[in-house]
Amino acid sequence: MKPTVVKIDNLVKRYGELVALDHFSLEIKEGEIFGLLGPNGSGKTTTINCLLALLSYDKGDIEVFGKPMEPTSYDIKREIGVIMQNVAVLDELTVRENIDYFCGLYIHDKAKRKEYVDEAIRFVGLEDFVNFRPNKLSGGLLRRLNIACGIAHKPKLIILDEPTVAVDPQSRNRILEGIQELNRQGATVIYTSHYMEEVEQICNRIAIMDHGRKIAEGTKEELKGMIRNTESVSIEILELPDEIREKIAALPHVYETDYDGAKLMVRCSGGRHNLIRILGVLQEAELGFGRVYSELPTLNDVFLEITGTALRDAKGE
Amino acid sequence: MFWHNLKYEIRVTLRNKDFLMWLILFPIILGTLFKAAFGNIYEKNDLFSAIPTAVVKTAENPIYDGVLAALTEGDDPALKVTFATEEEAKKLLFEGKADGILFLGEKAELNVSGSGMTQTILKEITARIGVYETVLADAIATDPMKAEASMKALSEEINACREVPLTDGNPNVYLQFFYNLIAMVAICGSMSGLHVATNNQANQSTLGARRNCSPTPKRMTLSAAVIGSCISQVACMVISVTFIRFILRINLGGNLLLLYAAAALSGCLGVTFGFLVGSIGRLKHEAKSAISLSVSLFLCFLSGLMVGNMKALLAEKAPWVNKINPVAIMSDSYYCLNMYSDYRRFTEKIIAMCILIVVFTALGILFTRRKRYASI
Repeated sequence: MKPTVVKIDNLVKRYGELVALDHFSLEIKEGEIFGLLGPNGSGKTTTINCLLALLSYDKGDIEVFGKPMEPTSYDIKREIGVIMQNVAVLDELTVRENIDYFCGLYIHDKAKRKEYVDEAIRFVGLEDFVNFRPNKLSGGLLRRLNIACGIAHKPKLIILDEPTVAVDPQSRNRILEGIQELNRQGATVIYTSHYMEEVEQICNRIAIMDHGRKIAEGTKEELKGMIRNTESVSIEILELPDEIREKIAALPHVYETDYDGAKLMVRCSGGRHNLIRILGVLQEAELGFGRVYSELPTLNDVFLEITGTALRDAKGE
Repeated sequence: MFWHNLKYEIRVTLRNKDFLMWLILFPIILGTLFKAAFGNIYEKNDLFSAIPTAVVKTAENPIYDGVLAALTEGDDPALKVTFATEEEAKKLLFEGKADGILFLGEKAELNVSGSGMTQTILKEITARIGVYETVLADAIATDPMKAEASMKALSEEINACREVPLTDGNPNVYLQFFYNLIAMVAICGSMSGLHVATNNQANQSTLGARRNCSPTPKRMTLSAAVIGSCISQVACMVISVTFIRFILRINLGGNLLLLYAAAALSGCLGVTFGFLVGSIGRLKHEAKSAISLSVSLFLCFLSGLMVGNMKALLAEKAPWVNKINPVAIMSDSYYCLNMYSDYRRFTEKIIAMCILIVVFTALGILFTRRKRYASI
């Protein structure tokens, strides 16, 4: 069994009356890409800040690499790389100087540091921009610099707090591939995001948070198995009498129908040939219809069903 | 680790545009403007000499002869007189060889071709000559025996009004503006001190959070940052003093090396002041920066950067303000160095600056020493 890298036990964090983390527990094993998924304000960043010993908390224990995490746990901090939600670089330094500066906070040996900095520059693909100042970089390149500053010292645990916010698709793909590459090189990764598809793409295990609580945890498959929905069928149809809709709703395995005047959404739980049966009802009623889609559940469906809410914006995490 | 932090701190500070603007360019521009505004007065005041005056005697008057003798003789004569006819006098005035024509007859009258400090002085002298003439004429009319004594008394009065130098330094009053300018450069060092405070606290900036996540102890990043900012600030102080002294050629008086030392210490005081401001509260960096700059300029105002006699006014109405205003202490130290031959007052100011540096740094550390934050 792989050793535990991060263990959060019964963590409680309050901001006055607001409970930001409500008896939150988590265990992350070595070599995982662990996704921390939740809407804005669910407590993801608060969890990360407590884990990094930046935030005080009211109750609970945090262990990293088997040791309690304290602000002065410098030996633990040496093995952690942090990529913040907001870009944290020095505007007055060039790309290379920035990476060298942050790497120098972890690595004392000059020759080793130079090697690591060069490697980090190559890793994020900033070779052509080494002498650029951050304000001359595009948003995507700036995010890549932010990542390079966080991983140049080759940490064993990498924490990425929504690193792809406001990043174009090309840069986003590059960042996600980079994270997977770091994981292949042996790093354990904690990845927070509210982009379901990103988490689904790269994470081995996922915890879903809401209102400071962990509401589900497992692999993608395990999470999808937790919900009723196994298939969502959507059909473009302009006219749908109520009796036909009721007929469809009464079909086996169908547990929910939704019609907005242009599209019929049918959610099914288990069973086979759901699509054929639904289309059979429509053909029998001689109703014309347009495009038909049948989709397996996504993390978004898992999230919606578990939290009962859509993604939302909140003022703070 | 310390040197790594120090190296980058200096690099960051010296590349900061605000820093370059306020601490290098601004004093150069303002110093040049001061020189342009006061330079003429400064040089005339600094190199004051007898005013060349053409005297045209339209009638013999022994009283005027006596008064004129009192004004043109001695070690520090007020006038350098050329006796001439009216035509010759006009020619001298036209050619700029005389600043005015003094007509001495029944009355003393003055002709000048422009307006300026020397013309104003000549006008005053002419008025005084008129007063003497009236007093002496009256003395001769009432008691001729006492006329000689009156003449002597008036001469003594003139001598008594002469400026007696209290110092070997440069007594020019306009120097205060340049001292205040140097002090302003020092207090503007608060900007880099402010950066130090906000960039090292996790609840103030993302950069602070990232630094706090690293295995470098906070005391090391903080001390390297404060020292780095002080070094950069001292460099700015040296540039400012050198520019004023050697490019603008303003005689700042006193021991120049000590002046550099006092300016360097002032720079450190400015940095620690900013460090303290940046450490207090949870306002955003921009808000703190605006507060720091406003407070700095207000302190400069109180020390007389904008209104020349402000410090004297405060010394009379609220003397404690000058004692705690860092900018006033800084400019006073330069002033004391120039004006007093002993170093007692200068040492007092230096000690006051050292105390403020220690207090500001201690308070700043007290506010930034937290390792965990209640909220970020």
